[in-house]
Amino acid sequence: MGAAQQIAYFLLHPNELRSIVQWKVWHEPVHRRDASKETPTEKSCFHYLKLTSRSFSAVIQELNPELLMPICLFYLVLRGLDTIEDDMTLDIKEKEPLLRDFHNIMEQDGWTFDKSGPNEKDRELLVHFDDIIFELKKVKKPYYAIIKDITEKMGNGMADYALNAEHNNVGVGTIKEYELYCHYVAGLVGEGLTRLFVESNLANPQLLVRMDLTESMGQFLQKVNIIRDVHEDWLDKRRFWPREIWSKYVDNWDDLFAPANREKALQCSSEMVLNGLKHAEECLFYMAGIRDQSVFNFVAIPQSMAIATLDLVFRNPAIFERNIKITKGDACQLMIESTQNLRVVCDVFRKYARRIHKKNDPRDPNFLAISAQCGKIEQFIETIFPTQDPNKVRAGLKQEEPKMDGLETFYLVLSAFATFVLIGVMMVGIAWYFGARFDQVFKGIDTKLAGTVTSSVAAVTSVVHEEL
Amino acid sequence: MPRYIEPQEAISTPPVQLVRTTTHRQLPILNASHHPQTSPITPTKPTTFTMASEKKPSLGSAMVIGGCGFLGHHVVRLLLRDYTTTSISVIDLRCTRNRRPESDGVKYYEADITDADKLISVFSEARPDVVNVDGTAAVIKACQTTGVKALVYTSSASVMSDNKSDLINADERWPTVRGENQTEYYSETKVCDTMVLYHMINIYRQGRTGVQVGNNNNLFDFTYVENVAHGHLLAARALLLTSQSSTIPLDHERVDGEAFLVTNDSPVYFWDFCRAIWAAAGSPLGTDHVRVLPRGVGMVLGFLSECFFAAIGKPPTFNRQRIVYSCMTRYYDISKAKKRLGYKPLISLDEGVRRSVKWTLEQEKVNAEKK
Repeated sequence: MGAAQQIAYFLLHPNELRSIVQWKVWHEPVHRRDASKETPTEKSCFHYLKLTSRSFSAVIQELNPELLMPICLFYLVLRGLDTIEDDMTLDIKEKEPLLRDFHNIMEQDGWTFDKSGPNEKDRELLVHFDDIIFELKKVKKPYYAIIKDITEKMGNGMADYALNAEHNNVGVGTIKEYELYCHYVAGLVGEGLTRLFVESNLANPQLLVRMDLTESMGQFLQKVNIIRDVHEDWLDKRRFWPREIWSKYVDNWDDLFAPANREKALQCSSEMVLNGLKHAEECLFYMAGIRDQSVFNFVAIPQSMAIATLDLVFRNPAIFERNIKITKGDACQLMIESTQNLRVVCDVFRKYARRIHKKNDPRDPNFLAISAQCGKIEQFIETIFPTQDPNKVRAGLKQEEPKMDGLETFYLVLSAFATFVLIGVMMVGIAWYFGARFDQVFKGIDTKLAGTVTSSVAAVTSVVHEEL
Repeated sequence: MPRYIEPQEAISTPPVQLVRTTTHRQLPILNASHHPQTSPITPTKPTTFTMASEKKPSLGSAMVIGGCGFLGHHVVRLLLRDYTTTSISVIDLRCTRNRRPESDGVKYYEADITDADKLISVFSEARPDVVNVDGTAAVIKACQTTGVKALVYTSSASVMSDNKSDLINADERWPTVRGENQTEYYSETKVCDTMVLYHMINIYRQGRTGVQVGNNNNLFDFTYVENVAHGHLLAARALLLTSQSSTIPLDHERVDGEAFLVTNDSPVYFWDFCRAIWAAAGSPLGTDHVRVLPRGVGMVLGFLSECFFAAIGKPPTFNRQRIVYSCMTRYYDISKAKKRLGYKPLISLDEGVRRSVKWTLEQEKVNAEKK
């Protein structure tokens, strides 16, 4: 967007500009990392964090110091793994052992990797991976064990998918496979993070018992990304939408993008949205278990962005034509609202659930199910923050006075009207009694109305007379 | 957050185990053939088991009072389908409608449930273990004198609603509305439920789907009748287990003397529900043609309509109550029934709407042919 266009946009959307300014000027991080006390390798880690992540870099840097380095390194390790997996120039024979053994490689002092393809945007990270390994050695034992465990699971998962010809050629089949894929790419990261939060005592240990809540957090984010990026992935010949869903609407995957099938494609996308939306309540439940403000911000920001993105993609034909994103202003507004407390985040979820429900179309086969799911989200929020208190409702009932029914109200209005008429008649009567000349008034009106007629008739006759 | 649910109005009258289920807005349907996959059942620990034909839970000798009525005949149908019984008997004022075929072996007795002596004689003959009822003190007395083990009493969720105040995620702790605060009691619970659908379909036929009163953010609970019947039988089963058990159940597990709310567990936005019905009835329209009428404006129009009809001395076809109703929030939290009875709706709301609309349209056709 050019500068002029941007100015025009903000003139039309002043609220968005306000949110951006508000976030940039007034946002006060809970913790701020102190670069002056950092070692060169620590600085190097944050350098690569900023280089490799657009969205997570800021929130990670504002984390509680206890978890700042562990989570930054956890992110970089997974990013390194991801760079190897993504690299199509690497032969599978070389790739597979790297992926499966990465949890051991990350223990070898001075290990670096410079065989990534020239187009890999994060190749620099692997070239200087020795800095990350150096810092990893300093991480507290329990945190390190968690990072290593997840790296191992993730690396093996990635290797399995890299070898899975069916997945790479035809894409995801059933909804179950779809959710398993989301588990490997997002659920596992969530598992690692929850364990880190609980280990550092910044979250309720109960979250470890209810791992399904963590899973929902990851599924929700990943599914939203998969729905939003459908066009981009289609261009890259990748397909993550499960056949089980899209085959109900079109026969071939490519048909989904044909303009002639837009309505079918929209119905398909709304089933995908419905499938994603089912995790929303559990995400809110998870966030209720976070005890530290910086961790809360860290988990809440992506979740709010995700529900806003779901609203953006819902029944939006643009997702089949180009890549769409929430605007910067909306993103800032969401960040402001996600860095406060659970109640505000619940309000965000309710607001977007209602926006989704407003766009819902009765002709869509998923219409009532989507309405019910939005209702479920609202109902869940109601169980956390009830608006009604049964005791107050009980008290309110007792005080209530008997109300009038329709007929009574009608008589009341009628009698009021009759009173006005009566007063009017009396006033006129009294005025007449005291000598008001109403005959003159009526005569006046008469001449004003009828007089015009008589005078014009008179004028005509006078003309006629003159001619004679 | 899970909330502790206090037992509300313990009305247990030993030796009869009594449970009150409170239902909400039932949708009519006939001849459904649905096979539940799983149905959790024991009241103490909700474990899941499959209702395969060889492992149907037993309810002993069961009696359904009002078993020829709308809800009652669904209870009878589910009894035959999902449970094993030694006998099924039905008491109703008239037993001509909604009868099961002779081959099902259901015994029908015509009796007035306010007539205690008659009831006792029927009870002594039918010897029920479980009674499903829609009735009065005479029934309780008859149960006590003839040694009935379990009694499930049906109420309506309207006992909690005054038809104008919102009920937001209400559960069994909410107060019941009695006497003057309660309006339209009978019409609301018995007649309207089956008529609502007919009226809604008519609104579509008359092309009046283009107006929405209020902002449509108000959630409403609707319940499909088969789910209500299912809730009743789960309660009956839980009561029987309680009476057979030698230990007294813990407070948070008990079923006897407790009230339970039963809905479809799926509140939806009021106008969305209407639109789903219109769509099921064949409406090809989306929401582009819909105009939103603010609630205040609707109230003024409703009032004017009432004045007009009062002046010409006829009951108004359009009034403020309808505006209030379409803008009201009314949905329930049924965690208690889910936890203690293992209740889960058998038929989804979506499916319920489809079946109900189909049934209503078929009924219409049948009635038209009669004429």
